[in-house]
Amino acid sequence: MRFLMTTKGGSRTPDAAMMAEMGAFIEEMTRAGVLLATGGLEPGGLRMISSGGEITVTDGPFTEAKEAIVSFALIEARSREEAVELARRFWKIVGDGEGAIQRVFGPEDAPGPGPR
Amino acid sequence: MTFLDAHRVVDAVWKMESARIVAGLVRMVGDVGLAEELAQDAVLAALEQWPEAGVPDNPGAWLMAIAKRRAVDHLRREERRERGQELLAHDLGTRPDDGERDVDDLVDALDGEVGDDVLRLMFVSCHPVLSTEARVALTLRLIGGLRTDEIARAFLVSESAVAQRIVRAKRALSDAHVPFEVPSGPERAARLSSVLEVIYLVFNEGYAATAGDDLMRPSLCLEALRLGRVLAELTPDEAEVHGLVALMELQQSRSAARTGPSGEPVVLHEQNRGRWDPLLIRRGFAALLRARQAGGPLGPYVLQAAIAACHARAATPEETDWPQIAALYEALVRVLPTPVVQLNRAVALAMAYGPRAGLTLVDTLTGEPALKGYHLLPAVRGDLLARLGRHGEARAEFERAASLTRNTPERAVLLRRAATCAEEATAEAAEAGREEATEARPAKAIGQPPAGRRAADGDVTLGRAMGLFLARPDLRADTVRSYTQTLSRLCRHLGEDVPLRDVTSHRVAEVFAAAWGTAAGATWNRHRAALRSFASWAAERGWATADLAAPLDRRPEPRARTRPIDRSRLESLWERPDVPLRERTLWLLLYESAAPADWALSLNVEDLDLPGMRGEVKARRHWLRWQSGTAALLPLLVGDRRRGPLFLADRRPGPGRMPAAADLCPHTGRGRLSYERAEYLFKRATRDLDPEGGGYTLHRLRHSRLAHLGEDGWSAPMLMSLSGHASARTLHGFVRVPRPADTVA
Repeated sequence: MRFLMTTKGGSRTPDAAMMAEMGAFIEEMTRAGVLLATGGLEPGGLRMISSGGEITVTDGPFTEAKEAIVSFALIEARSREEAVELARRFWKIVGDGEGAIQRVFGPEDAPGPGPR
Repeated sequence: MTFLDAHRVVDAVWKMESARIVAGLVRMVGDVGLAEELAQDAVLAALEQWPEAGVPDNPGAWLMAIAKRRAVDHLRREERRERGQELLAHDLGTRPDDGERDVDDLVDALDGEVGDDVLRLMFVSCHPVLSTEARVALTLRLIGGLRTDEIARAFLVSESAVAQRIVRAKRALSDAHVPFEVPSGPERAARLSSVLEVIYLVFNEGYAATAGDDLMRPSLCLEALRLGRVLAELTPDEAEVHGLVALMELQQSRSAARTGPSGEPVVLHEQNRGRWDPLLIRRGFAALLRARQAGGPLGPYVLQAAIAACHARAATPEETDWPQIAALYEALVRVLPTPVVQLNRAVALAMAYGPRAGLTLVDTLTGEPALKGYHLLPAVRGDLLARLGRHGEARAEFERAASLTRNTPERAVLLRRAATCAEEATAEAAEAGREEATEARPAKAIGQPPAGRRAADGDVTLGRAMGLFLARPDLRADTVRSYTQTLSRLCRHLGEDVPLRDVTSHRVAEVFAAAWGTAAGATWNRHRAALRSFASWAAERGWATADLAAPLDRRPEPRARTRPIDRSRLESLWERPDVPLRERTLWLLLYESAAPADWALSLNVEDLDLPGMRGEVKARRHWLRWQSGTAALLPLLVGDRRRGPLFLADRRPGPGRMPAAADLCPHTGRGRLSYERAEYLFKRATRDLDPEGGGYTLHRLRHSRLAHLGEDGWSAPMLMSLSGHASARTLHGFVRVPRPADTVA
């Protein structure tokens, strides 16, 4: 099952040692097929609101910097516990911070005849 | 962490770490069964302690530490027991340090090559002393960390059966004293292919799971993928491992699209390609790329992955590169010559070159004992016949296929197709009936006559026709002898009394496949010629259909050709330390690219694409491709040069013999290395390798490569695109050249 891990802003800026450690971790997880995609996000970005058929695009206002999602990782794990364990390794490298783990529903979660 | 169930956390951590922990323990204690017991002790400890003390910060390391401690305890006990037999108790008390140190050394060593240990464990759990089921169960248990009940659910067997299997497997390994090592030499390839087989078996078991099955079954695909990826990491130079990973990634990418809303299977060309998982496709391509970089002959997994990649690349079914797929199947048949692969190849040929091409091959398979009862054979044959407008025969094939499959949705599809063919056939018969009424000519028979039908008056039997054919006065005695062999074999199989008009090309092809299917090309062709002669003679008299011999393809016969240089001789040439860089690079380039020497010599520095491992022969507009050997040397040979000839002569040209500017190096002023000189250098260097003593020519070096690739299973189109041979004919000696069967008379 797939999970989306996200981290919020406000954690310390990475130094060279952490970057190196994180690089190695990402490579190992990618090779193992655990990490499917990952990336950092532009702070803020654009804000879109669709209301009554009207779509508005603005460049603000946004939630506080420490609430905004700044990076994500899409991972393939066998269980929620495994996802947590992987996330734990990630946070060991990053240090202080805050984030979330959410299940990404796949075909096996669709209503109907079950797994395909 | 309190919201997570401690049991589930232990299970998750165990699944992630089991391979490393068990592998490390096997190294310490030397026995798989014991290692697993010790590891299970650690899991039990975790189950006891984590719910109360909480999950430790680094649960994996925690498990590992406990397991190691248990192993150390065990080793100490063993040591004491052994000593107890030899020494007095007080002696033990005075020398406690020795045992301590040995064990510490062991533990230190254990921290070293964890990855290698996992690889060793994979080789052990897939060891040939075990049955296939045992290999699968043990691998899932030890490397995948699956519980016995999970394995049982996944394979639809009872838990006790799996437990038994695992216990017996561990005992068998111990009895056979299987060493904990990665095998080397020729054994390595065989053992590695056993590991690959086990992984692919696990994958296929999951792939065969259908809707409504326990979720554990489809998850076997992911488990196999994980095992494959781990293995690929541990053996990065093995092309086949990457090939298997690529194959599984690409097949798995279609998992969401391969069943319909009510669970029925959806065939590849009808799948909604929008549901294919692009992430996995990308991973598949990446793995295939790594397989190609690893080099070596193309093995079955790499070839199957390459075929899957062809499908993945096509945005719509119509964009599928069928000629490429047919060529890949051609190569696959040579390394994996099974009837099922042949059948797939027939489908690819039909898609690439028309149904007739496919049918020709399928007809040679109908006698295969391995395909008896395999519903896809009549299904494919029916499809091809229908496309050729032979609806009566097609209908019979679809009905046969429907009776052979156990899959209900599939049977429904086949019966529907049979019904459609029946309607078509009836319409045709009505048409033919009208023609008969107006023109008063006999209606043509549709489909095969009932078995055992005897010759009616006026029908010429096979036996009688054969007698008349061979009694002709213009035949030479040796021709009669030769023809008799062919035709009497036909009579034995089909019966002398069968009416000649009931003998179909299909039946004849069956006889040929059974009698001479595996004979040398020349033998096959001799019998084929005899039959063709007979068929056209009988057709002239209106006794048989003209196309009686049509499905029989002429087979290539090896011709005299440039003999290849032994691989071992070339190996020793590459390893020779005294060969100058320029020569070494040129020879390797010629060998790896299989290109003509003058093309290689015409290369310029600016025409090279070093990262792409290719260079353009401008005059020929051909890209010459090399492999890792050349790629490693080229940067050294090029040095700082930016332009001009790649291979330079030893000296600058004299003033009277100034070559064209294009053949001069702007950096050094030296000219381009000439063919004559390059040829001389190669001959001189190989004089002692050549048993005939004259030294080899560059031409022979190139052809050796083609011969070696041919032996390794490359097909003609692949060789042609590599070597720049303009015609498949000149490649005849190297490979079986596939020809579209449409052109067969």
